[in-house]
Amino acid sequence: MAQLLILQIGIYYSRMKKYQLGEFEEVVMLTVGILYGEAYGVSIKKEIESRLKRGVSVGALQTALRRLEDKGYLKSHEGEATEERAGRPKKYFTITAYGKKAMEYTRSTREELWNAIPKVALKVVTGFRLPVADNLQLETGNNE
Amino acid sequence: MKEVPPKLPLRFFRWFCHPKLRDSIEGDLMELYEERRAKSGKVKADALFFKDVLLLFRPGIIRPAEGYQQLNNYGMLKNYLKISWRSLLKQKMYSFIKIGGFAIGVAACLLIALFIKDELSYDKHYANHKQLYRVLAVITENGDIKKGVAFPAPMALAVKEDFPEVVNTGRYNNSELFGAGASEVRAADAEDNAYDEGFVYFDQSLIDMLQLKFIYGNPQKALSQPGAIVITKRKADKYFPNEDPVGKALVVNNKADKPYTVGGVIEDFKSTSHLQFDFLIGMEGLEFWNGEQKTWDASNYATYIQVAEGTDAKSLEEKLSNGIIEKYYIPMMTKSGRSLDDVKKFFTETQAHLELQPINEIHLFSEGVDDKLNYGDIRIVWLFGGIALFILLIAAINFINLSTARSANRAKEVGLRKVVGSLRGNIINQFLSESVMFSAISFVLGLAIASIMLQYFNSISGKSISIPWMEWWFVPSLLGLSVVVGVIAGIYPSFYLSAFKPIQVLKGALTQGSKSSPLRSSLVIFQFTISIILLIGTMVIQKQMNFILNKKIGFEKDQVLLLQGTGTLGTQVVAFADELRATSHVVEVSTGDYLPVRGSKRNGNSFWNEGRENIDPNVTSQFWRVDPYYVNTLGLKIVEGRDFNRDLASDSSAIIINQKMAKELGGNMLGKRITNYGGLWTVIGIVEDFHYESLREDIRPIAMVLGTEASVLAVKLKAGDMSESIQSITTVWDKFAPHQPIRYSFLDDRYAAMYNDVQRMGKIFTSFSILAIVVACLGLFALSAFMVEQRSKEISVRLVLGASVNSVFQLLTWDFLRLVLISIVIAAPISWYMMSRWLEDYAYRTDIGWDVFVVSGITSVLIALITISFQSIKAAVMNPVKGLRSE
Repeated sequence: MAQLLILQIGIYYSRMKKYQLGEFEEVVMLTVGILYGEAYGVSIKKEIESRLKRGVSVGALQTALRRLEDKGYLKSHEGEATEERAGRPKKYFTITAYGKKAMEYTRSTREELWNAIPKVALKVVTGFRLPVADNLQLETGNNE
Repeated sequence: MKEVPPKLPLRFFRWFCHPKLRDSIEGDLMELYEERRAKSGKVKADALFFKDVLLLFRPGIIRPAEGYQQLNNYGMLKNYLKISWRSLLKQKMYSFIKIGGFAIGVAACLLIALFIKDELSYDKHYANHKQLYRVLAVITENGDIKKGVAFPAPMALAVKEDFPEVVNTGRYNNSELFGAGASEVRAADAEDNAYDEGFVYFDQSLIDMLQLKFIYGNPQKALSQPGAIVITKRKADKYFPNEDPVGKALVVNNKADKPYTVGGVIEDFKSTSHLQFDFLIGMEGLEFWNGEQKTWDASNYATYIQVAEGTDAKSLEEKLSNGIIEKYYIPMMTKSGRSLDDVKKFFTETQAHLELQPINEIHLFSEGVDDKLNYGDIRIVWLFGGIALFILLIAAINFINLSTARSANRAKEVGLRKVVGSLRGNIINQFLSESVMFSAISFVLGLAIASIMLQYFNSISGKSISIPWMEWWFVPSLLGLSVVVGVIAGIYPSFYLSAFKPIQVLKGALTQGSKSSPLRSSLVIFQFTISIILLIGTMVIQKQMNFILNKKIGFEKDQVLLLQGTGTLGTQVVAFADELRATSHVVEVSTGDYLPVRGSKRNGNSFWNEGRENIDPNVTSQFWRVDPYYVNTLGLKIVEGRDFNRDLASDSSAIIINQKMAKELGGNMLGKRITNYGGLWTVIGIVEDFHYESLREDIRPIAMVLGTEASVLAVKLKAGDMSESIQSITTVWDKFAPHQPIRYSFLDDRYAAMYNDVQRMGKIFTSFSILAIVVACLGLFALSAFMVEQRSKEISVRLVLGASVNSVFQLLTWDFLRLVLISIVIAAPISWYMMSRWLEDYAYRTDIGWDVFVVSGITSVLIALITISFQSIKAAVMNPVKGLRSE
């Protein structure tokens, strides 16, 4: 009885936190997608740094990768050992089906929110007509 | 050649990193280092490498404590606990009995430990309790050691002046003869009186010595003015709510012309103080009669001394005792006409001397001191401690018995563990951790039971104990204890179980568990012996209580209402009494200041036959002032002579004595004249001895003369509707004292209240013996269930071969019943001895009698029989096929 109750609570809890993806986690997921098949620690780091112009520490990246792997969004396999890595194998990451769902979920919720903003509100804030919303639509379109 | 990153950070990284991640991350680090080195040079690359390593030092990356290289047996321990938990769930009934019994034992122990702690903490809160002593007078009369705390008024000063070691001395006087005790009180500007207890005459110096905490007023000068009074916080709140009462007037017993002035308000006395007063009346300029403060003839003051730090109390005690006796007591006694030799003989014969009692021993070590304070008893502390320990022991025995008895069920597990490489030590560890787990669960449960039972326990022990959750030592010491108890209870089972030989148990040859081992039997006997001793103790206490309540005590305690606070009526009290007599519900009314129950007025005096004052030894006697209706109201029986007669003027010098006094004065006393210090009295009547003190004491001499004091009236009522009688009395009362609510009690209640401690003992014994029996029976129940289970095949075969239900029942029951019978035989003499010792406290006591043993024996056999037969009958009527088809 008690066990059943705990299970129920567990399911409810996981539903609530369904597809939870932090900002940096999302960036990492997307980058792993971009580097399809070539995503390992250093390549992901470089890709993010070059695309987003922001510094990424090995620690932060590895922690995020670990967390995403634990959540089941990413899976990894060990690759070849190269000389420049002093014989250490690379760990390649790929997106799982579940991970893909999570990304889609995150994106659709974002879009829902964007669409819910009345265009007027954005106009008032900016003061002149800058197609912010339109721009964004374009960008997300690119990523597909 | 490859460039190598700095060694130290790399080693650090390898040390902390999770092994599964180590290689790939290290590879990343190497690759980055290589690249940076080529681009920006060694220094920058080294620095960045160092920074990366430091940033990697975070929870997701650091390896958890649980890894490949374990420093402890955590994994094994986890396994042990898991297996323990499974076996607990698998055998619900046995686990329940093990844990439940243990929890009950823990709860009992916990409550008693808190009780003992409270008893031992008395008077330790007084800042300089190590230097404070109470003076005791110790005298040996006919082999009995008697202790008194009352001393002559000037002694305190004499001690302080004569002995340099004594820094300060102080006194209090709580005798009702002087007006201490209970009174009617009101603030000067209030109209209605309220009744309050706790009045005492108190020295300013005693306040200094005890360092009582003041809320209002100057602690050094609170009682230094004549007529000053210091009250406690709760009484200040009652009479002077929301104000500073210092300087306000307090009227006591309607004496509006002589009110007391409040000199200060102190915090209430702590519940762990042997002194419990509420109104401290200053002694400054107070003298109860001319020369009272100088006389060594009257002893009414409890005297406390404060010694200088580092004083050896023992040597001071002897010096003080000899000094005071030589310098003051002997001259005082020779002055009254006795020869010096005679006095010296008295001191050598009675070994009369003074003792210094450390203030923190007063509560527990004041046996034999009768001074209206409530004391504890060190014997009770020991007794309770013993009982608590025994109950825990009984519960622990259940644990041991069940663990070893059920060993057969765990034998295969032990065998398998050994085969796959467990050492004996590992298996001992396993069972020890199992028993620690059981004990921890029991402690939690026991704590819950204790907090539920706390209120009940407080009500029967007369304490106000709470569970000290917040104290720093409480939780750690419970944790520590649960481990210690768990280990102790688990030692024998774990050694026993770990000794199994793997081959034998795996072959299934083990039957050890099902045999009734001698050790298990003796443990059961031990359990039942203790339970039966407690049972017999309970019955003897009940019997003594019945004896007390039903004994002919020489007066009629029923239907007597005691009307309190009549002192405020003044001279009107006579008219009031007459009016009461006129109501139809009242039989008789008399003064009731002196009553044959504890806590009412007493007045000790010395008597001689006329003209023999300095020749004969004195007869110490009570000297009561009563009115002509007293004998009738209380139903005393005059055996010789007559009662007082209100119409005879000569009766003002008449005296009525009891048989005991007549005997001590030489017998045949009727019509003779006797004298005390003050007067010459003619004996007009002799009453049958009646118990005017507790039944613990012999009846002592008593003499009654006529007087008019009446702060209490005793009203003998007609049998009938009590509330109606009270109603009619209240009507009369309201006419005479409209500003004072009526207050009454009943003589039989007051009488029973004298034996509250006995009743309390009875209740406590009852509770604990029930506990002990329940726990022991739980064990017996589980053990019998197990035996039946083990022998089910044997029983089935017997049944198939034609054994009757009856014979199977007998077979199964006799094994255990035998143990209970042995327990009775062992318990009887032990309890007889213990209870005889207890009864020795009473001068008047019931005899233990054979019936107690028979009844408790039969009770315990019946209880045990019911416990066992549940399982035996189940086994005897079962279908034999069930037991046989299992193979």
